[in-house]
Amino acid sequence: MHTGESLRPSVGTNVVRVDGAQKVTGGARYVDDLPPRPGELHGATVRSRVARAVLRGVRLDPTFDWSDVTVVTAADVPENVVQLIVDDQPVLAAERIHHRYEPVVLLACADRDKLARAVEAVLLDVDELPPVLTIEEALRARDVISGTDNVQKRYLITKGAPDIVRDAAPSDEARATEEAILRELEACEVVVRGEYSTHHQEQLYIEPQGMIAWWDDAGVHATGSIQCPYYVHKAMKRAFHLEPERIHVTQAVTGGGFGGKEEYPSLVALHAALLAKKSGRPVRMIYGRTEDIEATTKRHPAHCTVATGCDRDGTLRALMMRVVMDGGAYVTLTPVVLSRGILHAGGAYRWEHARIEGVAVATNTPPNGAFRGFGAPQTVWAIERHLDAVARELGMDPGVLKRQNLLVTGDTTPTGQAMRGEVGIHECVRRAFESSGYLERRRLGAAVSGRKARGIGCAIFLHGGGFTGSGERLLKGKAAVDLAPGGRLVVRSGSTDIGQGTETVFAQLAADAAKLPLDRVSVATPCTTYVPDSGPTVASRTVMVVGSIVERAAAEVAARVAAVRQPGESFATAGDRLLAREGTVTSLLQYESPAFVKWDDVRYRGDAYPVFAFMCDVAEVEVDLDTFEVTVLRFWQAADVGRAVHPLMCEGQLEGGTLQAIGWALSEELVWKDGAILNPRMTNYIVPTALDAPPFDTMLVEHPYSEGPGGGAKGIGEMPMDGGAAAIAAAVEHATGLAMNHLPLTPERLFAHAGARAVEAR
Amino acid sequence: MSVVDLPRYPFARAGSLGELCSLVHERCASGERTVLLAGGTDFMAEVSQSPRRDGPLPLVVDISRLPELGAIEWDGRTLRLGAGATYRELAEHHAVREHAPLIARMTSDIGGPTIQARGTLGGNLATASPAADGVAALAAYEPTVVLASVRGERKVRMADFHTGYKRTSRADDEIITAIEVAPPPPGSPWHWRKVGTRQAQAIAKVALGAVAALDGTRITRLGLGMASVGPTTALLPKTRALLVDGSPRDVDLAQLDAAVAADISPIDDIRSTGAYRLHVAKALVRELVRSLANL
Amino acid sequence: MIAKVTLTVNGAARTVEAPPLTRLLDALRGPLGLTGAKEGCGEGECGSCAVLLDGVPVNACLVALGQCEGREVVTVEGLGEPRHLAPLQACMAEHGGAQCGICTPGMLIAAESLLRSNAQPSAVEVRRAIAGNLCRCTGYDRIVASVLAAAEALRATRGASVSAGAPVRGAAE
Ligand SMILES: Cc1cc2nc3c(=O)[nH]c(=O)nc-3n(C[C@H](O)[C@H](O)[C@H](O)COP(=O)(O)OP(=O)(O)OC[C@H]3O[C@@H](n4cnc5c(N)ncnc54)[C@H](O)[C@@H]3O)c2cc1C
Ligand code: FES
Ligand code: FES
Repeated sequence: MHTGESLRPSVGTNVVRVDGAQKVTGGARYVDDLPPRPGELHGATVRSRVARAVLRGVRLDPTFDWSDVTVVTAADVPENVVQLIVDDQPVLAAERIHHRYEPVVLLACADRDKLARAVEAVLLDVDELPPVLTIEEALRARDVISGTDNVQKRYLITKGAPDIVRDAAPSDEARATEEAILRELEACEVVVRGEYSTHHQEQLYIEPQGMIAWWDDAGVHATGSIQCPYYVHKAMKRAFHLEPERIHVTQAVTGGGFGGKEEYPSLVALHAALLAKKSGRPVRMIYGRTEDIEATTKRHPAHCTVATGCDRDGTLRALMMRVVMDGGAYVTLTPVVLSRGILHAGGAYRWEHARIEGVAVATNTPPNGAFRGFGAPQTVWAIERHLDAVARELGMDPGVLKRQNLLVTGDTTPTGQAMRGEVGIHECVRRAFESSGYLERRRLGAAVSGRKARGIGCAIFLHGGGFTGSGERLLKGKAAVDLAPGGRLVVRSGSTDIGQGTETVFAQLAADAAKLPLDRVSVATPCTTYVPDSGPTVASRTVMVVGSIVERAAAEVAARVAAVRQPGESFATAGDRLLAREGTVTSLLQYESPAFVKWDDVRYRGDAYPVFAFMCDVAEVEVDLDTFEVTVLRFWQAADVGRAVHPLMCEGQLEGGTLQAIGWALSEELVWKDGAILNPRMTNYIVPTALDAPPFDTMLVEHPYSEGPGGGAKGIGEMPMDGGAAAIAAAVEHATGLAMNHLPLTPERLFAHAGARAVEAR
Repeated sequence: MSVVDLPRYPFARAGSLGELCSLVHERCASGERTVLLAGGTDFMAEVSQSPRRDGPLPLVVDISRLPELGAIEWDGRTLRLGAGATYRELAEHHAVREHAPLIARMTSDIGGPTIQARGTLGGNLATASPAADGVAALAAYEPTVVLASVRGERKVRMADFHTGYKRTSRADDEIITAIEVAPPPPGSPWHWRKVGTRQAQAIAKVALGAVAALDGTRITRLGLGMASVGPTTALLPKTRALLVDGSPRDVDLAQLDAAVAADISPIDDIRSTGAYRLHVAKALVRELVRSLANL
Repeated sequence: MIAKVTLTVNGAARTVEAPPLTRLLDALRGPLGLTGAKEGCGEGECGSCAVLLDGVPVNACLVALGQCEGREVVTVEGLGEPRHLAPLQACMAEHGGAQCGICTPGMLIAAESLLRSNAQPSAVEVRRAIAGNLCRCTGYDRIVASVLAAAEALRATRGASVSAGAPVRGAAE
């Protein structure tokens, strides 16, 4: 073993977060807190005001004084592409307008007032075209805005009978597999069909998007509010045709992301850098709230059509689901979101036969993108609400029905992935049910008192950690640990702390691996010049995947120190001697996907994720029978997190994620008209306040993941977003009998659904 | 994005009410515009969120510390609420809590603590939004608005003050100095219910304020104010006529619903729907009648 | 138009020369060099710009600098420093009240204002006090727990010398 100073491990304890003191004193520097650089200009974006058009040209009002305004158009972009999965999104629109907030012209000026006037002095000549604004319109394909049929991506997952015919008839797999699943459904004692839909959701991080960019002899620099510095790096490399070492992307302290700062900041950085290049000055680009809500990515709306077959005793047999997502104007991350969506469509349940189809379509709305849960909340909503409907049909309690069909060790998911090790979901369900009194209170029925009714409902779900399928193998995430003077370690990784506590957790993992006290470890600011590409800070992979590299690297450095350490000598002295001799002592390691992960990307078969985390939510609500206002009185949640490296922060992730699910379920709703958002403000995009949030009973269940760091951590960042909405809908149904299949459950929608019943109800 | 407008506004601070009246009057006379700045919770937010403006901007006059506007006084019959008193000050004032408990209660539903700390009734009345909670709650007391100008003091019933969507009968050179309330005796029943977009930082989808006096089971006095169901705060005259002089226990609910429907004209907007608002308006009035019947 | 405004900021007299309708928030973040208060919305909704003005919590995005002549402003920087955290700040860091931290300065100001007038708040009172401060990260429970822990810590340190309900200063020792 490595011989550091012996001490108590910090993993599993609630050490004070390493950035805590800075954050509670106002000392933490978010991008707009950074002092202006000499000569700095403000940047602004001129956007299209129509949803779909041919862009004929850009005119600058000749009566306006443009002498001190920098103007950038598509012609100024060396290669007009935002690097991501498909090369369809331009940095600035050149010929076509695909959504109402599409960037067309960039302006920079030292004077903010003049800048605002300049934005109005840019005139866009456009020929408007009829826009495609909804999933239905896109599928109808009367107007084709993408490819030949508006479809951005398709997937098919098959299991059991459909899978057998699929191999037999690869050229006709769509029809053959559908016929096969329909046969299986027909053979079932009880068949239930339903449709379930979900709406856009805005991340609404409290710090808007922002970036500062400048050029110097070393190349281009961009510092800002970002989740994935290397995404920005790659986008710069492509658009500017730069050598990688001439691009320096740095994360400033970031005020929340939730996916919203995964791919979008590439655009902000490119814009700021274009202006900086043309003006020869640093450019600061900070979005206002309205611009941020209008132009940046949101959660994909989805429409799911479900049919299931089961025995009369509730044993589930066959699942057929078609998931259609609205990708928005450009492909961005939609294929991956759709993929995660369909991979979670079977829920935490055992299905003998399954056919799950995913389709993403293009619309003339801003591209939808990453948002915590990444497709899973949409399909978990569908499967959970559908099982509630099955339970209704069978006259069973939905919680009992779900519990009786949960996956156990050795069972396989719709992709054929076998559950390895202990399946923690059972303990999650037991603890959430017991602590909430779920079964007893369901038996008692709704508690009606005066004009208020209380009900309780549950959702049970799983969430895969890390990139899907072979993603991690292709990604080759890296992280490094350096030995520094005085027996200190420095962790270098491209994973960012956007509030979830990456810095603290990495320090904990490295300290324990090297057997050093926590304060001997520091974590370097993610700057692409100094840190390796760890892969993006997404997909619940930071602790589970990157954390495991950090752990190994720290152990390796400690071992090298141990090898030269003499009896009685301290780690610091030995380390300094080693450093003096070698110059640098570093361990740079790459992630190794566990050998057992086998994935067929063509057939979507195999181990979609190395491991799943599990969760059971129980929500208690009170519904006002007059106004249909829903109050979440209390929320129980039990999650199998593998191993909680920092229990308090882990609970904080679960609670924060669940509150986002509650907001999505009850109040958050973008109002659209002709491709425009009518409520792009905090006063009318309604997220929960402290008075809307329930008290949480959060329970951590720990069934370690064999390959997880810190003794078995799984990825949990996104999971809590998945089930909250369904738990609330079940509770609302329990309280009122109103069975809602479409989100959100605003009072207006509950009222409309209740229809005549509402009026006679007293 | 037009916070950029803010630095361009001319600004002055008023030392006294008299000075303010003269200043505003003179500017009016010469055709120049003036905006009074009290808590700024309407004005500053409005300017920051509106499109940028070209051309001359009005003079902004800070009235947030004018002593003449801040006082809250009870003379044994009339409660005089200074137009510049903040919601926070109203909530903490013993005379308000005792004589106009509905007002004290309403303040806790305004925005959040920081808005309550700055916002004033004068601003709420002057902005004249149909969603104004302060106006809906005050309306239940059938108060009088006190206006000052170089011509002296003018009193106008609040029922006559709000004349249309965001319109009032205030002359351009008049300043709201106070709202006078002649409350029913302490202990009289009152009712407040706000149905908003969320539990705090919420704009009313519907809100109802009511103040009553009863003689036995007979309703002898009833003041009503309802927010967000028409172009101005609704005073629900037909509903009131149906209820006054009767017993809340004998009300025909179908008639009551019909009266409410006839009294209001709710519309669809980004916050809610007309149909929902109508339904909730009826339900809130029924709730009021139930609570009066259960006294 | 440029005005010269003299005010007290975190205990020190400061003079700012700026247009009078400059938002207090911009004056603090710009000429006064205090970037603790943040701009999340610019319309009074999010509370991340909250400061104390004459001891009362306000949204600095809705206050005009010209309205602050002679007044006293306290920002998050005035509550304590990294090496000398006020109990409220320490509790916020220790009990999970700050994740991304962008709402934290405003939360601390709202909580400070509560604890000055209420030494023993209930959980619901804490929720009311921070109802004008949006947090998208925590789910609020940990913030409530942090403030309750701070109230307890303050009661323990001030102990018998301060009766319940007396103003409690959360400043650094
Ligand atoms: C986040 C937020 C939440 C809010 N929540 C609510 C809510 O829940 N319910 C609600 O009703 N309102 C709400 N409001 C609106 C606002 O707070 C209130 O209308 C408040 O009462 C306005 O008062 P003020 O002093 O801040 O007005 P200011 O902004 O100072 O002034 C508003 C207007 O009134 C005029 N004015 C002010 N005082 C006088 C006077 N004495 N005589 C003549 N004219 C005058 C001004 O010239 C200006 O045109 C909210 C606002 C915000 C920003
Ligand atoms: S920035 Fe002031 S309240 Fe949001
Ligand atoms: S900690 Fe991120 S918004 Fe509150």
